Amino acid sequence: MVDSLLTARGLNKQFRSANQPVAVLSNLALHLERGESLALTGRSGSGKTTLLNILCGLEKPDAGRLQVLGEVFDSRAPEAGSQAEARWASLRRQRIGVVFQDANLMPALSLLDNVRLRARLAGQSEADCQDWLERLDIGELAERYPDQVSGGQRQRAALAMVFAMKPALILADEPTGSLDRHTAEDVTRQLFDLQARHGCGLILATHDTELATRCSHRLDLGHQPGT
Amino acid sequence: MTLLAALFSHYRRHPMQLLALAALIVLATMLWTGVHHLTSQARASLDRSELAVAERRQVTRADGKPVSVQDFVELRRAGLCVMPWLEVATPETGRVVGLDPLAAGCFESSPGEDRPWRGELDGAPFVDIREAAGLAKQHWSELSLLVSGADSDAGLPSGYRVEPFTVGPDSGELGESFLLNMDALGVLVLLITALLLRSVYLLGLAQRRESFALLHRFGVPGGRINRLLMLEIMLLALVCIVPGVWLGRWLATGLGTGFGQALEGLFDRPLYAGQKGGWLVPVVTMLVVVLVACLADFLRPLARGLSMGSRWQGGFLMLCLLAGIGLSVWAPALVWLFVAVAVVFVASGILAPLLIARLADWRASREADPLSRWRHRELSVLARRLALPLVALQFAMAMVLAVQALVTTFESTFDRWLAQRLEADFYIEVPEGVDAGLAVDWLAEQPELVSSGVWHRVVRGQATVMEPGGEPGPVVDVFALGPIGPLVTGWQLFESTGAPWQKLAAGQGLMVNEQLARRRGLAVGDLLSLKLGNQVGDFPILAVYPDYGRPAGEVLINVSMLPTDFEAGFQSLSVSPGNLPIDTIASGLKQVWAVEQLTVRDNRAIEALASAIFDQTFLLTRAMTILTLILATIALMMMGWVFFSTRAWYFRLLVVWGLSPRQAAVQLTRLSLSLTSAIALLALPLGIWLTWVLVHRINPLAFGWSLPMAVYPRFWLELGVLSLLVGLGIALLMRRQLTSPVPAPESASALSGGER
Repeated sequence: MVDSLLTARGLNKQFRSANQPVAVLSNLALHLERGESLALTGRSGSGKTTLLNILCGLEKPDAGRLQVLGEVFDSRAPEAGSQAEARWASLRRQRIGVVFQDANLMPALSLLDNVRLRARLAGQSEADCQDWLERLDIGELAERYPDQVSGGQRQRAALAMVFAMKPALILADEPTGSLDRHTAEDVTRQLFDLQARHGCGLILATHDTELATRCSHRLDLGHQPGT
Repeated sequence: MTLLAALFSHYRRHPMQLLALAALIVLATMLWTGVHHLTSQARASLDRSELAVAERRQVTRADGKPVSVQDFVELRRAGLCVMPWLEVATPETGRVVGLDPLAAGCFESSPGEDRPWRGELDGAPFVDIREAAGLAKQHWSELSLLVSGADSDAGLPSGYRVEPFTVGPDSGELGESFLLNMDALGVLVLLITALLLRSVYLLGLAQRRESFALLHRFGVPGGRINRLLMLEIMLLALVCIVPGVWLGRWLATGLGTGFGQALEGLFDRPLYAGQKGGWLVPVVTMLVVVLVACLADFLRPLARGLSMGSRWQGGFLMLCLLAGIGLSVWAPALVWLFVAVAVVFVASGILAPLLIARLADWRASREADPLSRWRHRELSVLARRLALPLVALQFAMAMVLAVQALVTTFESTFDRWLAQRLEADFYIEVPEGVDAGLAVDWLAEQPELVSSGVWHRVVRGQATVMEPGGEPGPVVDVFALGPIGPLVTGWQLFESTGAPWQKLAAGQGLMVNEQLARRRGLAVGDLLSLKLGNQVGDFPILAVYPDYGRPAGEVLINVSMLPTDFEAGFQSLSVSPGNLPIDTIASGLKQVWAVEQLTVRDNRAIEALASAIFDQTFLLTRAMTILTLILATIALMMMGWVFFSTRAWYFRLLVVWGLSPRQAAVQLTRLSLSLTSAIALLALPLGIWLTWVLVHRINPLAFGWSLPMAVYPRFWLELGVLSLLVGLGIALLMRRQLTSPVPAPESASALSGGER
């Protein structure tokens, strides 16, 4: 079994702001192994979300080499964009779970149907979906729609979706950012418990220093370059 | 920054949305103003025309010759109050009527009389007689002498008689009905416009919900925000309505000539004068429509009070739909038909999005595949959220479908009918004062014509239908033919006895046109009591034949049945010369009649001219419906795009979950196509029903003649393709947003889990 989940080297990304180039990521390198968790911290605009997007293929780096779950993506490789896109899509579909701060669910589907949809896309059985909702204490809300439950319950459903796909790597962007402290703690506990139990990797972008300390590694994007 | 500037900042960020809203108001104003301008001008002309001839009488010569200026002088010298009425037809202005205001002075002094026209002689159709006399030198004209009611019986010099005065066939309320039809079309355009405006406005509000909430949190009262929104929409409406009205007037001017010709062709009366219209009515109407469409939220509490729950609402609407359809079958008058059309449109308009949403929900509940289930659930959301522009598109499609079917049916039916009527190759006018019988004898003696050609004589005049009590009834046109031969025996008949043409040739009865049959409730086998010349006779009805494009009742009889005292208004010969050159026939007839000039017309040229006039008849309706469809199409595309933008996050979520952007775009396209094709499918039955109402119910009531009900599946396919193109257009516009980076969800609805 390959223990290395993710390795990044020489990642660069810059945006243009008021016609001036602004470097967001500069010669960034990082490495994550199976069962490890990494907290991405830093002030707003430091590039946490950009880095997460690059790590799951939703954005392209200007330069750099990435090895994610055995797949290599090199900005210098003469690979057609569509081929790389297809490999990224396959990874996101089956092996990388992404959790955002909010709006992780399709509003027109019930919580259970959302979990089923995610499991089906990942090629996993739909039989466990109700069970995942039970494990996250929202089993009785399975037939409710996202607008009929609280923010914390929606985030639990988002975690159920991610775990129902049995991911190797979870990328979470401020997953508790819109929740009250008590609910946030509850959701965080469930996230780390499940991550530990299933042995997948976790990269977490957060402002919350307390939350960051619960991760095995920490990368402050305010102090690049570094690993 | 002022509060108003803060509100307007939305449009600074979304200039295309502002442009689209403005374009919608301008286009809708243009369309409605154009129609309103044409119909109101035509109605004004009709009113003046009808007022001018209402219960008027005229003096005619007892010897049947046309009256002249000399007759006018003689009658005035005899002390009668008469007024010359000179009608001139010109290709440029249509018909104009020349009146003499001085001569009409005596009408005002007569008890119970007033001037035979209202207002000033301010242009067509009424002009000073001097102007009309100038035109009469180069164009067809007819002089009549109107007589005051007080003088109509007494003091009439010998050699004259008094008759009712009409300027054409008795059109009854047909002209008004035609204009009512146009009004109904205009109301439909207005309704579609209101729906589109409301949908654009509501989406704009939805997009700005967060800004309003923010302003509210900053301490701005909700009422003030509403007032500023009202001000904003008023400003926008005013800025857009003015150019819209200007464009509408320009449209009306462009279509006016054809419209005027169409009205004359249909009613033989100058119904459209084409003066410049006002600005006030269109501006006020469109302002009211814009305000009602945008501020209808104030009616919501009332609507909630009347609400009966969605379960009962569906049943109630279905009942309304059935009641409307029932009313359209049994409605005895045009106004009830329009009520039926309104009821059916409103009910189906509310039901259509509900039906799509419920069907999509039902399909979702039966789908095992979660992705298909999501797509159907999303379709249900779309159908409900885009209900207004969808219904507008449904109405526009149904209207286009019906009008197109009507026009195509009319064109093909009319072409066939015209070809039958103009079966002969040539048409020769019998000059005034000659004996047509001499020509008949001469033609019968031409062996080449007898062996290879065919001909008949046509005599036109008038007869009076006698009422059961023996009282004279309405005057009808007489269309007499002889000999009855192959030029007519191929005519299509609505109903007939066995061997009708043989019986007509044998003088055993007559045929009546559809208009007369409908008006008098006549059927084949009935006896029609008719006064021809001075003789009254009962004639069995052998057949009912179609006679499109004019309201007059007509009887078709064998020339041999005309009594000797029958006064022919016009005579002609229809000839297909076969091997005999037409020049030989023309020179032979000139010799027989001892005339130097003979009018010989090529019937193919006449056919082409008549077809061109009837093409004009429906130019306006065609233009209006197509423009409405374009308006609705653009609006739905725009709305679809704006609404999809608010859902963009959820499509990007599919990409996050591992669908490639291309696969997500395919899902989007399928959704968009499902929506537009569903509404096209629902427009189809509505359009077919409207076609039936137009050809079988409105047309006979409005024009006196009916058309066969025909459907055109090829046109359905074309509309289907159009709906798919609209769907593809929305998908393409949206696809651009899928390729951009994934931003965090912005809208309040996303924060609350989004709409479902």
